[in-house]
Amino acid sequence: MATERYSFSLTTFSPSGKLVQIEYALAAVAAGAPSVGIKASNGVVIATENKHKSILYDEHSVHKVEMITKHIGMVYSGMGPDYRLLVKQARKMAQQYFIVYKEPIPTIQLVQRVAAVMQEYTQSGGVRPFGVSLLICGWDNDRPYLFQCDPSGAYFAWKSTAMGKNFINGKTFLEKRYNEELELDDAVHTAILTLKESFEGQMSADNIEVGICDSNGFKRLDPSHVKDYLANIS
Amino acid sequence: MAMMNDSRPHYPDYSTAGAVQHSFNPYADNGGSVVAIAGDDFAVIGADTRLSTGFAIYTRNQKKLFKLTDKTILGCAGCWCDTLTLTRILNARMQMYEQEHNKTMSTTACSQMLSTMLYYKRFFPYYISNVLVGLDTEGKGCVYSYDPIGHCERSTYRAGGSAGALLQPLLDNQVGFKNMQGDAFEKVTKERAIAILKDVFISAAERDIYTGDSIVINLITKDGITEETFPLRKD
Repeated sequence: MATERYSFSLTTFSPSGKLVQIEYALAAVAAGAPSVGIKASNGVVIATENKHKSILYDEHSVHKVEMITKHIGMVYSGMGPDYRLLVKQARKMAQQYFIVYKEPIPTIQLVQRVAAVMQEYTQSGGVRPFGVSLLICGWDNDRPYLFQCDPSGAYFAWKSTAMGKNFINGKTFLEKRYNEELELDDAVHTAILTLKESFEGQMSADNIEVGICDSNGFKRLDPSHVKDYLANIS
Repeated sequence: MAMMNDSRPHYPDYSTAGAVQHSFNPYADNGGSVVAIAGDDFAVIGADTRLSTGFAIYTRNQKKLFKLTDKTILGCAGCWCDTLTLTRILNARMQMYEQEHNKTMSTTACSQMLSTMLYYKRFFPYYISNVLVGLDTEGKGCVYSYDPIGHCERSTYRAGGSAGALLQPLLDNQVGFKNMQGDAFEKVTKERAIAILKDVFISAAERDIYTGDSIVINLITKDGITEETFPLRKD
């Protein structure tokens, strides 16, 4: 069988100590559509650009902002197909946790499990790293959480962050705009503004996606709701 | 099967024509009973200390209650070897949970995990009657009882083990106030629960040969766990 021939990992060290495949994966992420996450005092917001290359695309059929459990949501920058796989695995892991403990999975536990999967693909035979960075938002222990998972399997807890195209500008923008007392509504406003910084063309409720997570759980905002926020900006 | 081995002893007067069957039974019933009662802010569990096999006694002095956390205790009756292994695995899983989550496992999470662990051995079960007792996240007492393959049910009181069928109806009457005439009955306090526990085991020791010697009672409240030993009939 062909798979037997790939018992060795394709992600190997360079003389300088780097795993070049992971660097390349991060480059794939940096070339992807911009996404942003902001942790407010009473919730978390995640958002992403969802532009379509032609008017023939059927908007709102496929989503980038996805729910993993009632209290955890996810968004990405990078390669869509790789993202879909991780969403499916994350959902399965969350349910498996519930089967054993009858408790909703703590956000950090889910992040650790997803990151472990991503790490596996940097050290297993015949596979390549995932070409996505994930932003995972959740609410448990009566507080909000925002995490980023990288292709290497590293994960970080953020107060706010940006990924994808122009992420450096996005982060600079957030550094100026972020403060700890931000409330969820303001955070959504700020997130949309951050996306606008790198947006080419006219932003509308049909080409961005926003999700929020608070004590009531995770929810993807529907276009009419997003429209209200957009109206406040222009 | 190939040739039968020739090391078998040759007793011409006792030999039978054909094959000889040998067998090994992996299970042993070491007896014992467990009783648990839960209240609004306490939970109490008692188990006898006799381990037996058939009509013989292994020891009069074996604790059958296992502390899992400051708020959760598991009582096991049945096969002692399975009890030892189950409690070891359970303790390992609880340590792992603590290390991964940076917090102790709640009683409800523990009860669910035990259920899945038992079902994991659906086709070679742990021969144990488990009763898990503790305080839930709100501080209320809870009793979870299991069958050998992990069916789990939360209740206010439960009797398990060899005298389980003798004691459960008694508990229904004294703790659940079932099948009685009369109106209001006072909620069971922890002092009354312990008194009922002792009476119930004394009755069990009278009629069940596998229950006796002494009982160990563990009381769980928000202040911690207290232990009490109480003697029973030794015959």
